[in-house]
Formats: sequence, C-alpha cells, structure tokens
Amino acid sequence: MSATAGYQAAFARENAATGRTPRLRLRVEQASFAYSATDRSAPTFTLGPVSFEAQPHELVAILGPNASGKSTLLRLLAGLTKPLAGRIEVDGVEVSSLDLRTRAQKIALVQQESELLFPLRVWEYVLQGRYPHGRRLRFESEADCLLAGNALAQVGAEPLRDRWMDQLSGGEKQRVILARALSQQPSLLLLDEPTQHLDIGGKVELLRRLRRLADENRHTVLVVTHELDLAAEFSDRIVLMHEGKCLRVGTPEQVYERELLEGVFDAPLEIEMKPGGRPHVILRGVR
Amino acid sequence: MGVLGALTLRLLLSVAEPIWAATQPLPPFDPQISSGTSVGTTVVDGVGRRVEIPAQVKRVVTLSPDLTETIYALGLEERLAGDTNYCDTPPAAKSKPHVGTMQNPSLEAIVALRPDVVFASTSINRRETVDALARLGLAVYATNPHTVRGVLDSIASVANVMGAVAQGQTLVAQLQERLDALQMRLADLPLAHVLFVVWQDPLITIGQNTFIADALRWAGAESVILAEQNWPQISFEEVVRLQPDYIVFTSNHSGGSTALLADLRSRQAWKGLRAVEMGHVLEISDEIARPSPGLVDAIEQLARHVHSEAFRGPGAHDTPVPENREHISRMLPSAQECTACIR
Amino acid sequence: MHPLTPRRVFGICLLLCAVLFAAVVISLRMGAYPISVRDIVTTLVNGALGRRDQIPSEFWLVVFGLRLPRIALGILVGASLSTAGAGFQALLRNPLADPYVLGVSSGAALGAILSLIVAPLAPGLIQIAAFAGAAATIAGVYFLGRRGGHLDSGTLLLAGIISASFLSAVIMFLMTSLSGRDLRGMAFWLMGDLSSAPALDLRWLYLLLIIGVGSIYTTASDLNLILTGEQEARHLGVNVSRVKIVVYVAASLLTGLAVSLSGAIGYVGLLTPHVMRMLFGNDYRVLIPTSALGGAIIIVLADLLARTVVAPTELPVGAMTAIAGAPVFIYLMRRRVR
Repeated sequence: MSATAGYQAAFARENAATGRTPRLRLRVEQASFAYSATDRSAPTFTLGPVSFEAQPHELVAILGPNASGKSTLLRLLAGLTKPLAGRIEVDGVEVSSLDLRTRAQKIALVQQESELLFPLRVWEYVLQGRYPHGRRLRFESEADCLLAGNALAQVGAEPLRDRWMDQLSGGEKQRVILARALSQQPSLLLLDEPTQHLDIGGKVELLRRLRRLADENRHTVLVVTHELDLAAEFSDRIVLMHEGKCLRVGTPEQVYERELLEGVFDAPLEIEMKPGGRPHVILRGVR
Repeated sequence: MGVLGALTLRLLLSVAEPIWAATQPLPPFDPQISSGTSVGTTVVDGVGRRVEIPAQVKRVVTLSPDLTETIYALGLEERLAGDTNYCDTPPAAKSKPHVGTMQNPSLEAIVALRPDVVFASTSINRRETVDALARLGLAVYATNPHTVRGVLDSIASVANVMGAVAQGQTLVAQLQERLDALQMRLADLPLAHVLFVVWQDPLITIGQNTFIADALRWAGAESVILAEQNWPQISFEEVVRLQPDYIVFTSNHSGGSTALLADLRSRQAWKGLRAVEMGHVLEISDEIARPSPGLVDAIEQLARHVHSEAFRGPGAHDTPVPENREHISRMLPSAQECTACIR
Repeated sequence: MHPLTPRRVFGICLLLCAVLFAAVVISLRMGAYPISVRDIVTTLVNGALGRRDQIPSEFWLVVFGLRLPRIALGILVGASLSTAGAGFQALLRNPLADPYVLGVSSGAALGAILSLIVAPLAPGLIQIAAFAGAAATIAGVYFLGRRGGHLDSGTLLLAGIISASFLSAVIMFLMTSLSGRDLRGMAFWLMGDLSSAPALDLRWLYLLLIIGVGSIYTTASDLNLILTGEQEARHLGVNVSRVKIVVYVAASLLTGLAVSLSGAIGYVGLLTPHVMRMLFGNDYRVLIPTSALGGAIIIVLADLLARTVVAPTELPVGAMTAIAGAPVFIYLMRRRVR
C-alpha cells in the first residue's frame, strides 16, 4: 500500500475511533520541486511528489537523514518557493498565492539564530512579530503588547522581558525567537532542525515546549529533524523523507519499521516498543 | 492637549516664518548702505563684469594682498576700510580691520565695513565670493592681471575706480619707466635659464602661462621647464638633464639665502647640479608672484642677480625710488649686499 | 513594556524643534555685523508681516540676506545628510556607513569639476552639474550592486566603494593636470562650505527634503525588522527588495541634494544617527525624524562656530563637524548604560 493511502486509511480509522471531525490545517498534495545548477542543465536534486495532511494541535516531524529534501520541503511549506507541481494549502488557501503579509500572518518560520545589528530589548524583538497584522508603518497597540507578553510567558521567558537581546544565552535566545514566532499568531509553526546546537536536556525541553504549544494553542507545529528518538516521543505524525522522496507518512508506530529505518538512515538499528505505545530506537552493536 | 497644541503651533510658526521669509528672493540692494551718493557710473571690470561704481568712493575693502599694496602705493590708504588677514605689505596694512582670508572672507565683516567698492583679484579670490557679494548689492571690482603689463593696467584701473586718476598715471609711468630701462639694459643679452622652485618636495615649478613666467621674461630669464599646466610637478631627472643656470626660490623674509645654499649643497641630489656648485642659487622676494607695484622691484632684483654683468658700471644704481614707498627700497639690495651670489 | 507611540515620537520631535529654534536664534545673533537681539526680532517680525519698509536696509541685508539664508541652507543640508546616513546604515547593515560611502559625493564632485572646466562662469551651473553627477553615480552603483535582480547589501557596498575610489582618482587627475586657477574653488567645495549659498529657490529644495525624508519614513517599521536579519524580515512579511530600493534611492538623492549645495560636509551623516540612537533609541520610527532634526541642529551650530570662533577668518564647516563631533561622540559612547 502506498504511503499516502496508508496514511489516509489510518487517519480514517482514527477519526472513527474518536469521533472527531477533521478540520484540515495543512494539506500537501503531490508537491514536488527540483533544483538545477543552471536553467538549462538537468536537475541536480529532485523532491518527488509529497502528500500529507495535518490538523491543528498536531506536531508533525519531517524526519530524514541529511540531504533528504527535508529543508526543501520546509521551504515549500513556508511558501518561500513555489512547487513545480502540486498544491500546498493552509487553512484552505494555496500558500504560494498569498502575498507576503498574509502569508506571514498564517505561517511562522522559526530561525536558528538572529544577527542583530543594533541592540534591542527582548520585548521589542518579540513585539516585532506583530508586524504582519497591522499597516506597513505602524505603532503597536495595547492588544499587540498583550499578545507579545503572552508569547513570552508561553515560552517561559517572561523574566527576560527587559533584557538586551545580545546578553542572552543560547537557550534563552532560542526561546525568545520562538516567542516572536508565536506572537505572529500563526496557523503553522515551522522549525528547521531546532535541536541542532542543544544538549540532550535542551532538546527535551524544547520538544516538550513545542508539544505544549501545539496542545494549548491552535497551531500546527512542523519540525524538521533527524533525531529519531525525539521524533518518536513527541510527534503525532511523521513524514519520512529519503533522497527527495516521501517514503511513508503516519504515526510513529506506523513509520518506525526496522528495515525501513535502517535503509533510510544507513545505520544498524533496533526498534523497541515502549509501554506508552511510542517506539524507541536503539543502536545495535556496530563493531 | 489644547495648550500643548497651541504652544506647538507657535513654536513651529516661529521657526517656519523666518525660514520662509529667508527663502524669498532678496529685493534689490538699497544703496543708502554705502556712504557714497546714489548716482554712479557703470564700468567693466577685469573679468568683463558690469559694475556700478558710486560717484564718490570713500571707503573700499580689498580682498587680496596685492590690491592692498597697490592702494598704499597709490597713497590712498586713508580710504582703505578693511583688508584680509594676510595683507602684510606694507606693515601698516596689518593694523587695518580684517575681513578674513582671501579664499573665504567673512561676507558679514565686509558688509559691516560699509564699503563703496570691494576690490578682488582673480589671482587669488574665488568667483563665488565675488558673486555672493554682488548678490548682496555691493559693487565688486575684480582685477585680472595675467601678465606684467596686465599688472600696470590693473593698478591704473584701481586708481580710476577710486577717482585718483592722476596718482594712478604717475605710479604707472614710474613703473613703466623702470621696466623700460631694464629692457634696454638687457636688450642684447641672452635669456638666463632658471629653475623656479615653487615647492621643493615634491618638486613643483611654474608653467609657461603663469604670471611668474611673464615676470621672469621681463627680468631676462626663462624657465627651463616648458609646460602648459600652471604648476607642473617635475622629476628631478629633468632638472639634471636641463642643468639650469640659476635656481630661484622665493621667500617673504630676507637673510635666508646663505642658509639655503648650504642646505642644497648638503643634499645628495642637489649638490651635483652645476648651478649649486657655482653658487647660483637665489632667494628673491615673493613679490615676484604678486601682481602689485612691488613686482617691479622683484623683477629688478632678479635681473641684477642673473645678469649682474649688465649692472656693473656707473649706471648701476640710477633707478629712481619714489618717496612714499619705503618698503620697496628696503627690498632692493645693492650688488654688494647680494649675499646669495657667491661666485 | 513601553512600546513606541506616535505621541512619544511627536514629543521628541517637538523637543528637538525647540532646540533647533534655540540654535537658530543664537546663530542669528552672532556674526561680524553688530546687531542686537531686539533688532533681530523686530526685523524678523516685520519681515514676516511684510513690513519691509520699516526695517533699516542694513538689518534687512544682514538678517535676511546673509544669516538666515545660510542658516536655512544649513538646516537643509544637515537634515538631508543625517537622514541619508541613518538610511544607509540600515540598508548596508553597517553602523559605519555614511552618506558618501556609495560614491554619491565623488560623483557630485566630478560633475562640479567638469562644470568648472567647461563653463566656469555660469551661475548655478555647478550645483546642477553636481546633482547630475550624483544622479549618474546613483544609477551606476545601483546596477553594479544588484545580484540576482535584487539589491544585495554586500555587493552594493563594494560597488559603491569601488565607484567612489575610481571617481576620486578621476577628480585628482583632472585637478592636477588642468589649470590650477580655475579649480581653486574646488578645494573649498570638497571640504564642505556653506558660505557660497547659491541663488536657488530654497523652497523647492525643502520640498525635496520633505519628500526624501518622508519616503524613508514610510519604511521605518520595515527597517526595524530588516535590522534583525533580512530572512527574518521576509518571513514576517516585509517586502525587502522594495524597501531596499526605496531607501537607496531616497537616501542617495538626499545626499546628492546636500552635496550639490554645499560640498561634502563630513561626519554629520555618520555621527548624527548614532548620537540620536544613544539619546532616543534604535527604533527607526523615531530615529528618522530625530536624525533629520539632529543633523539640522548640528550643522547650524557647527556653522555658527565655523564663522565666529576665529573671526573674521571663516573655517569650513566640515572642519567644525569633525572637531566638535568626535569628542561629543566619545563622551556619549562612554556614558552609554548597557
């Protein structure tokens, strides 16, 4: 059974079980893309047709090794590039047809770093996230300040509010950057390898926070990652990518199959099912 | 908010109003500002501008040292209301009220002196200054001395503008006579080849079209460098190749010539020159570069040095020295006093 | 959390207007010609009310003919340069950028020198030629500074620096190889000089100033975001390419305007935005107007010093901005609480 069909089947079963009517937040339908070195040469990299869907409150992990097309897919989702074929819809509207401002109201892309040229206070930085919701030359309103304050509170960065941005530690900065994305009040929250520079404690903390945000707010959170364990532990849905192709879409149990993962990640792995129903990946003896 | 608004409005108006008024074109200048009467004549100055000169010119301001010197030479210094910071010839000029530098005089200071006419010279003043003063309604007369004869013409025109035609004619006649006498003396002599040093390092000399080149010719000398640019920078090799007969420096104070020769003799590059070996290094007055009456003295001084053979004999010191120019006789050395000419 | 409100911006501008007003009054009072404050005030009032005949012609000449035009020109030039400097610092993402770094002043100087060679006596030609030179440089550097169809900050900066060097070399060549007398005025012009106020109608030029500053102000929010990163700004919905073009053209034209009128006055465009940042914050919604007003104040005061400190000698105003500006900047820098 193809990846998409399998996913849809599982989805239908789930809905039947919970009785929940699906409100579609994100719908990716046969989106594909290709990079070429120049206009005329053959494509050096192709992102094959990808299809999946996501709901509000869901945390979706786009999982795969390096150069599997995860970041390209994220760029398509963010509307930064138009897909060569297929559609990507957020809240029923095609993403690439939106103007910049409206797109920023719906989709927030959380950066890794922020290179500030001039000193800025944390609250000023977070308040900038309200930009898509007003006129071009705007002065923030009371409501804006309230929302920014909420965003800070949600990431646990409230006490940092009056600090200068360049005085923050790496972890604190990341939380503040996330807070700015939250104050955009997006439908879709996109993160590209957010755990890259964090230690295990930091990784867990971030994923916990993202999980909580997905549950509390109405976002759909999409995280591009190659961390097998974290993806299994925290995500509702996994999109498995390999060499530009989407191999499987489904819940962690559905996707984490030993032969499949070993083929994708090219490493000797062992899958264990934990009591809570989440799979657990172990490195089999390498030597 | 009402009070604040009113205050704002008042402040803005008070800043805006005068600025608005300032940007209106200026009405024509009221001639009552000058001490002369309103009836005048229109003349054409040295650069072709039409200038309306009041009938009575009682107060003038000069914007360059040569014009100041000219006015003193004409005996009209009582009417000189102000000059520049650098007008030091004659020394009495230093005590006149100053209006600033030649390049950038204070327009206000000039206006404050209430001149009937302002004299400028193309040798050193900027066109913008002349235009700005003219826009304010002042009568600005610009002289344009390119050559030695042009200097005499300028002196005459300054005198005419100031209504002192007789003094002008006398002075010009005296200067002309001295120049003619000099010409006669030097008539059959070949031109001496000199290197006129404007600046030593980098080595800058004069071009053919400069005023100084013309003055040199009147002194029976010629620059070894023929260049179209006014202040060509040349390489020392050219000098070595051309081997000038004399090397001429200028100075505005006397007494440095022996030291200068000693200095050149100590320099690696210079001491090999024939002129330096023979001691043909001169330091002459910087009046050679100034289009003023003192120019003639400087020309004579130079001629005496480079053609000393023409000045030996009984006629050597017969040049007449007019009375009220004591500074000029001071600068005219006799053959015995020429310490720079070490044979 | 105290976000910036229009009221705060307005209040700060009002404060700076008051300071500017004081500077103008002081500057009107000082000068070689003796005239009391009372006489100045009566002249101004009568002039504003159109009662020209009630003013002695000397007072009229000094106040309206000499001092006010010079002050008005100074305000125009100071505001233009400072706003342009603030704009370029954001555009090029470089706190050391000044209005001249992209070669506009060199282009203007070349235009001026060519006009002096071709037609030295035509009135007003030097200003027009300078502006034409500036405009040509703006266009040239724009096309050189594009990469992939967009203005790229790094490429733009390189293109500007190269153009500036090239144009300066051409100017130096022209100045040394041509007649020295005609170009005497150039030395002054290159240093920055307010004394030769051209006979142009300042009202139109003030209109250009307002248009230029206003254009940049419309992008103030965008600039705030761009300064946290171009990609981030794009993700927040800023049309970065459009903003860059607007700021580039407006800031360059303001620079060209100022340089055509008064030569290349240094340090104002660089220092004023930094001083204003230290006093009133980094937000461009307040930085743009404060830079404009601050620049006006600084030039008015610098010119006042330039023409009175060693009277009757008048120093070029660019020398004053350097001498007076640097210590003030150092002081403020040390005082900054972080």
